Amino acid sequence: MGSHARVKAPSQNTGNVIRDSALGIVPATVEPYLALNAAVWDAGPLSAAEVELARLRNARHTGCVMCQAVRYDVAISDGLTEEKVQMIRGAEPDAELSARERLLVAFVDQYNVDPAGIGQGLQEALLQEFSEAELLHLSLLVAWFNGSSRCAVALGGMPEAMPRMEISIPR
Amino acid sequence: MNWIVQGLDREQLLDRLPAISGAFRQLYESVFNLPQVSAETLELCRLRLAQLHRSDADFALEEFSVSAPQRAHLQDWPQSSLFSDEHRACLAFTEVYAMDCSAITDAQADAVKAHIGEDGLVALLQALGVFDGLIRLGLIWQASPAGVRQHG
Repeated sequence: MGSHARVKAPSQNTGNVIRDSALGIVPATVEPYLALNAAVWDAGPLSAAEVELARLRNARHTGCVMCQAVRYDVAISDGLTEEKVQMIRGAEPDAELSARERLLVAFVDQYNVDPAGIGQGLQEALLQEFSEAELLHLSLLVAWFNGSSRCAVALGGMPEAMPRMEISIPR
Repeated sequence: MNWIVQGLDREQLLDRLPAISGAFRQLYESVFNLPQVSAETLELCRLRLAQLHRSDADFALEEFSVSAPQRAHLQDWPQSSLFSDEHRACLAFTEVYAMDCSAITDAQADAVKAHIGEDGLVALLQALGVFDGLIRLGLIWQASPAGVRQHG
């Protein structure tokens, strides 16, 4: 992993973590980036706690220290506990997770490790538990967070550890 | 054949959740018009990602026109004279990005920046994110992309 930041962030200080990050030096994509991030949180049927669980599980795959340290306040307000977050930290998700949460984790793992290899058993279990709109929401949020998390890692300068930080959705 | 809504292709599936897929498409399409990195370079990187994911359907797509010889020799780009130094730097970066983004070296990032600058590196990463995402969605849904779309 790059030991130093590979791109200088803009000197501006708007208070928006995306605009003020290295992403801010490509202005044409900042608004679509913010719009997609907001849509993933606001415009789908999954709860904020479920979105956050999927985001954090994805961050474990990409190795993004910052993504793993962040907690979105909407998910905390929705009832996501730190105990629940710890349950998805291991290679194998905790047995105390609900069946729905374990399926959510399984989908994120499949997306990251071998998307083409999804088996019929997992497909049927997902269809049994999630509605069509929920499955599409889950898919798109993982695609989004996977790309943004990989971007953060590839830009370098990621510390080895960060304290837990609660933030709001940047808009 | 996708397993979520039978009979639909990838774009039709995306259309079933327009509030989110519309924003995804807007970002996807915006990257082909960025001044920081050429659409040709981005298309070569997208096609290389499709090869690495073994997505024949995404490799068959044409988001931006590249020459037939470049397509034919893309897998062997290190040995081919058909690719510019900018292409080479971006393709090398793309290959490591696809396998393990944490394994990208400072030298690989510096090589990209030498040709397209720091903002070009950010633009490339944003493009790779949506390219990789769309390819993975098609694979996990088992849904092929629809037709050929032209940009630029």
